[in-house]
Amino acid sequence: MTREAFLARLREGLRGLPPQALADIIADYEQHFADGEAAGRSEAEVAAALGDPDRLAREVRAESTMTRWREERSPSAAGAAVFAVLGLGAIDILFLLPLLMGVAGVLFGLAIAVVACFFAGAVVFAAGPFTDPPGGPLTAVLAGIGVMAGSASGGALLTIVGIGLMNALVWYGRLHYRLLKPALES
Amino acid sequence: MPEAIEIQLKKGALELCVLALLSHHDSYAYEIASRLADAIGMGEGTIYPLMRRLQADGLVQTYLVESPAGPPRKYYRLSEAGKKSFESQKDAWASFSGSVDQIVFGGVQ
Repeated sequence: MTREAFLARLREGLRGLPPQALADIIADYEQHFADGEAAGRSEAEVAAALGDPDRLAREVRAESTMTRWREERSPSAAGAAVFAVLGLGAIDILFLLPLLMGVAGVLFGLAIAVVACFFAGAVVFAAGPFTDPPGGPLTAVLAGIGVMAGSASGGALLTIVGIGLMNALVWYGRLHYRLLKPALES
Repeated sequence: MPEAIEIQLKKGALELCVLALLSHHDSYAYEIASRLADAIGMGEGTIYPLMRRLQADGLVQTYLVESPAGPPRKYYRLSEAGKKSFESQKDAWASFSGSVDQIVFGGVQ
């Protein structure tokens, strides 16, 4: 493979990364070709030593999204990391997919239930005293506070479980690196 | 499973080797990669993510040097934190490899 073809495929595979990160990575590999040539190696030899550019791009991209997840812990970072792990295309990840979607669906459902409970608690808290509830207005206010507090702690628990699952997925994805593995596992 | 053991050993030693090379003199990625590719069979492309990680961890710093042909070349040098990390990793390696050698090759207690 020529230098041009290698870099074009790498660039293609890294599309969507932040422009600065992309430019840095491409510049590194461009320099690598230049240095290789200066050392008397052909473009094809250097390209072969670097490995498959598509594979390299997928792993670099996965690594960069996983780093973002570690730093941000935001839903969009989580989504990007999930897609990058799936993009590694290992066959056992595909087997994992239905299970993953099931778990994600359950978590999502629980999250909605928790939010709904919280608002129901708020309604009981606010409206309770005016509707002459059984046990008196004070009971309704306290019950409302209890339901809201319960759903808030449920939400916190869900968040912890969600973050733990994401971290497990990131760990699992990193097991599938082939080209970058020795450099990144510390 | 001799291959698996070899991979584990290389993985553990890779960062130490990079820090060691940089402790002798500042260097650029290609030079580091070709030294390590020859010496311990590391894939050449893996040097870049490793250097990025070391840089993010604050162990190495980069600076540009004009090169006679082509664009300026990125050199790496150890930061103060990098020097400290190298010293402690070197000590850990020396005592660990010494103990293992003694058990594997020594045979006498």
